[in-house]
Amino acid sequence: MDSNLNETSGLSNVDDASNYAVKPVESELSQHYPLKAILQPLGSTSLTKSPSCMVVYTPGGTSEPHTNITLQNCVITMDLGCPLDLMKINLRTRNSEFNPARFCGVVMRIREPRTTALIFKSGKVICVGSKNEYDALVAAKKFARIIQRIGFNIRFTKFQVQNIVATCDLRFPIKLENLNQIHGQFSSYEPELFPGLIYRMVKPRIVLLIFVNGKVIFTGGKSRQDIKDALDNIYPILRSFRKN
Amino acid sequence: MSSARRCKNCGSSDIEVDPARGDAVCTNCGSVLEDSIIVSEVQFEENAHGTSSAIGQFVSAESKGGASSFGACKFLSTSTTSKQQHVTLKCLILAFHVGMGVESRELTLKYARVGISNLCNQLRLNQHCVDTACNFYKMALTRNLTRGRRHAHVYAACVYLTCRTEGTPHLLIDISDVLQICCYELGRTYLRLSQALCINVPSVDPCLYILRFAAKLEFGSKTQEVANTALRLVQRMKRDSIHSGRRPSGLCGAALLMAARLHEFNRTPSDIVKIVKVHGSTLRKRLVEFGETPSSSLTLEEFMTVDLEEEQDPPSFKAARKKDKERLQKLMEEEGDNLTELQKQIENHLENKTKRARKPTKGPILAKEKESPNDINDVNRFVEEEIIGTISQIIKEGNVDDPSTEEHVLELGPNISSMGLAKSLDDTRTIPANTQTEIEIDLDDVDDEELDAYIMNEDEVQHKDGLWHKLNASYLEEQKIKQEKLAKEKEEGKPEKKRRRTTRRRNNQTGPSSSATEAIEKILQGKKVSSKINYDVLKTLNALKPEGDGEKEVPVELPKSPQGEPTSSSEITVPENVGKKSKHLVNIERRSTKKKEKSIGLPVYVSEPTKEEEKATESKNEDDKMENAMEEDIAEDFEEEPVTQEPEMGMLDMLRQHQQGHGDDEEPSFGYDYEEDEY
Repeated sequence: MDSNLNETSGLSNVDDASNYAVKPVESELSQHYPLKAILQPLGSTSLTKSPSCMVVYTPGGTSEPHTNITLQNCVITMDLGCPLDLMKINLRTRNSEFNPARFCGVVMRIREPRTTALIFKSGKVICVGSKNEYDALVAAKKFARIIQRIGFNIRFTKFQVQNIVATCDLRFPIKLENLNQIHGQFSSYEPELFPGLIYRMVKPRIVLLIFVNGKVIFTGGKSRQDIKDALDNIYPILRSFRKN
Repeated sequence: MSSARRCKNCGSSDIEVDPARGDAVCTNCGSVLEDSIIVSEVQFEENAHGTSSAIGQFVSAESKGGASSFGACKFLSTSTTSKQQHVTLKCLILAFHVGMGVESRELTLKYARVGISNLCNQLRLNQHCVDTACNFYKMALTRNLTRGRRHAHVYAACVYLTCRTEGTPHLLIDISDVLQICCYELGRTYLRLSQALCINVPSVDPCLYILRFAAKLEFGSKTQEVANTALRLVQRMKRDSIHSGRRPSGLCGAALLMAARLHEFNRTPSDIVKIVKVHGSTLRKRLVEFGETPSSSLTLEEFMTVDLEEEQDPPSFKAARKKDKERLQKLMEEEGDNLTELQKQIENHLENKTKRARKPTKGPILAKEKESPNDINDVNRFVEEEIIGTISQIIKEGNVDDPSTEEHVLELGPNISSMGLAKSLDDTRTIPANTQTEIEIDLDDVDDEELDAYIMNEDEVQHKDGLWHKLNASYLEEQKIKQEKLAKEKEEGKPEKKRRRTTRRRNNQTGPSSSATEAIEKILQGKKVSSKINYDVLKTLNALKPEGDGEKEVPVELPKSPQGEPTSSSEITVPENVGKKSKHLVNIERRSTKKKEKSIGLPVYVSEPTKEEEKATESKNEDDKMENAMEEDIAEDFEEEPVTQEPEMGMLDMLRQHQQGHGDDEEPSFGYDYEEDEY
């Protein structure tokens, strides 16, 4: 199909998120402001241009001036406000799957941004796989547009970020056993089941997967601020359980 | 006997109590004072064989309400109608004596004990472990953790929990092996249980399993020696952090393989793999990882005697750093020229900057060269003394912000702010139910050309239609049959199938509150406990601030309305300082007259009614105006609200500041930032 599309989507693999192509997303966003408000603007925390990266100041101000948090996945939901004929959507589009024996919704994919949407009969749509909230919005709009073009009278409502997954590398090894011992009421560390320590933070309500090599995965956050707060909370703790 | 008691008839204190017959008789006049006394004495009876046994029934510590073996209900179910009455009577008597049969919960516990002891027998655990596991089960049962889980899983989780707390060499996989259930499913149950029961389980120690695996490897008389070597190897691996995030069995396998070879036993990796139940590649990986540590270069004798001081970083950490380095190298190769250019520029800039910076540092003192040398000396001396004085003062006070001491903070425990307890309640109120926003945007800015590619033309639609129907033929058929059946049932007038009610578990588990006010707030937020409780008063308890107490307090005045109804909402006069409260009062008054009556007795403090409110009270007689008054009242309340909620807004503001403070990396200007909390 479009060769340009292929190129850009090829870049966006998980390993190398920092190389993620900078798209004109942000400028596009600033044109129609209302969504920026709900997407919790990057504000002063962002130093990079890539919308999936978030550079935050390392709390405690020890060795490194800042930590690089990379957003990996963003799940959003929206309501198109009208019942949809899934058969029609499935037949009219080439990028969709519909297998009612296995799943009651249409699975639709687009290449740019590389996302997948689950479209349900009630008009509700779940969109997963985007690298950040801005991409998610663009993707959601595209899905809505496709459905609109097929001939449904839709409204684009209730756009809502449900989950953000982010990673960061703290670059120091962590003593997971001791951490689990002292933070037992929040953490669980069972190397028989999973190599990382699962830390369920109460506030912000976020689950962190902490690995021995200092890499941390944040999940369950609804906004960037949540993730930033979680790192602010956990950093001094992890620092104190640093090995060596 | 009992000097305190006297006969009712003759007044004699000579009363004889016979525990065997269970009566008390006055020896003076002979009247029976008491009959069928309940005695608490152990009695024995002799049976036909001459052995004696205690009279009574065995009541176990766990059973509630008496002996369970009698099973009064069983009698009832087997009895015929002719005997019914008699048996029922007997049952009642039995029930009176020994309690009400078996409780369901007791039965559950009994089954659990059987299940758990079966499992423990298979795992060769002792009786103590069985008891502990049963107790865990009981705890789980009382917290409804067994609901929605299979019995086998809960039993197994309890047993594993026991193994972990007791430190027996059992792995999760052993238990799942015995019961033939999924290890991860079991793990999930176990984690849920240990978390809900607040059992802080110590981390697994791979050393525990060495001896057990060694015994299975048939080393004969040398088992202990091999195990010791393996133990040492594992300990070394632990120091080099190979163990963290890895299954203990893999680690043990690697250590045992090495130990076996060191003791001249021929054990192949496949032998080990069979026993420790990990994959061969995992085992190899552990071996390679150990090979990369400096300890691996020692000979056997050296290894057994020398303990290397140095501890290695975990292998995964090393791998990550290596990857980073490679990436950097690659980057350098690709854009080396650019970077060197950039480097030069940066260095130049830095040099210039330092040059510029150096000049003024010579500054303040030497700049005054024009002044006489004497003056300069004086100034210098003064500055020196001042500096030294300040330094010594700081040292004396001992609040040196020494980075080196900061480094030594080890193993921070959780504190209030990291748990989010202190402010959690304020937050639930102040944080707007964010993200849920309704917006409408136009989709005009979307690139339609790109989307054209996704939408197919008529021909392709036909094609896909055919293909889809072919693929889903069987499903469509099924669906058709189902629909026909449903239609048929409807015609026949069969009632629709009842939908299974999904019981939503209530979120009962609220955390502990740090103060009484907080606890009250929590109650208010939750579901109403009883209709008898006046929740608005509870709210006011909270809202009443100490400064509000000093105000004039006038009891509620309740003028009678002509209809004989207690009050209408407009008559309740409300002090302005508790505007929030007034709103709730209005709400309640509107609900029903019954509640209005209740609110009479409330300890609500009321100041003199304002003019507007008086106006409102005047309008009470006219029914049609009442509505207006109510609205007015509400409107007033709304007007008042921003003022009275100021303290809350303050909190919100502070919270925002708190968040911004982090974002801007400024020093937080208030007390409850976690960094400032004492650990």
